[in-house]
Amino acid sequence: MMKEIGFVDVQVSRPYDTFGEARGEKSARRFEVYGFTFMARKPG
Amino acid sequence: MKMETLAVDPSALREEVKNKYRDVACNPHGEFHFHTGRPLTVRLGYDQAVVGPMPDVAVESFAGVANPFALRTLVPGETVVDAGSGGGFDAFVAAHQVGSEGRVVGIDMLPEMLEKSRSSARSMGLGHVEFREGILEEMPVEDGWADVLISNGVINLCADKKRVFDEIWRILRPGGRLQFGDIANGKPVPEAAIHNIDLWTA
Repeated sequence: MMKEIGFVDVQVSRPYDTFGEARGEKSARRFEVYGFTFMARKPG
Repeated sequence: MKMETLAVDPSALREEVKNKYRDVACNPHGEFHFHTGRPLTVRLGYDQAVVGPMPDVAVESFAGVANPFALRTLVPGETVVDAGSGGGFDAFVAAHQVGSEGRVVGIDMLPEMLEKSRSSARSMGLGHVEFREGILEEMPVEDGWADVLISNGVINLCADKKRVFDEIWRILRPGGRLQFGDIANGKPVPEAAIHNIDLWTA
């Protein structure tokens, strides 16, 4: 979606085990949910 | 004009999110399905030399999902918007990085979070940080004001993501950067679950 809007130089970090050992861990594992850092630039 | 069909009603989802995060603001040591506070900042790799000196109240309601500063540290003097600033933690980290010559504007829709973040900013003497009431789909920031937009675990809680990214585009200056933390799933979530608003914050 970011590229569709016009953002460029999109980068994505390594995954973070955001929900590990939390109460939501079971659901997170079921759908392979992880946190990520995203970065992009508006051209100009 | 092409009309996108949203999975859930944006207003209804907003109310659900408010209920969940009001509890995070007022009862930060309660039981949630996600981590909060200082342990979460360690898990997400925040610089503890910056986090450590912050008062507990500035960190305890932090409920991010990644680290917006992991791929790029902010530059002194930059103007920054924190979309969905919650208790203010990421805005305070941003304030540290941009220094007193920079400016940070946090935006949140919850009065309880705004009260908390404003109080923390005052107690830390951060005169270059302010918090405004608003939603990500209509941010109270002028066109092209921001060098950088940060956010953490909030965009995934918005029903109309296209509208949010259009709004981010509007407030960023040409050449400005978007750096945010959010979640992504490797396996598809069943269609019925996507339309079940109760599960968006579960």
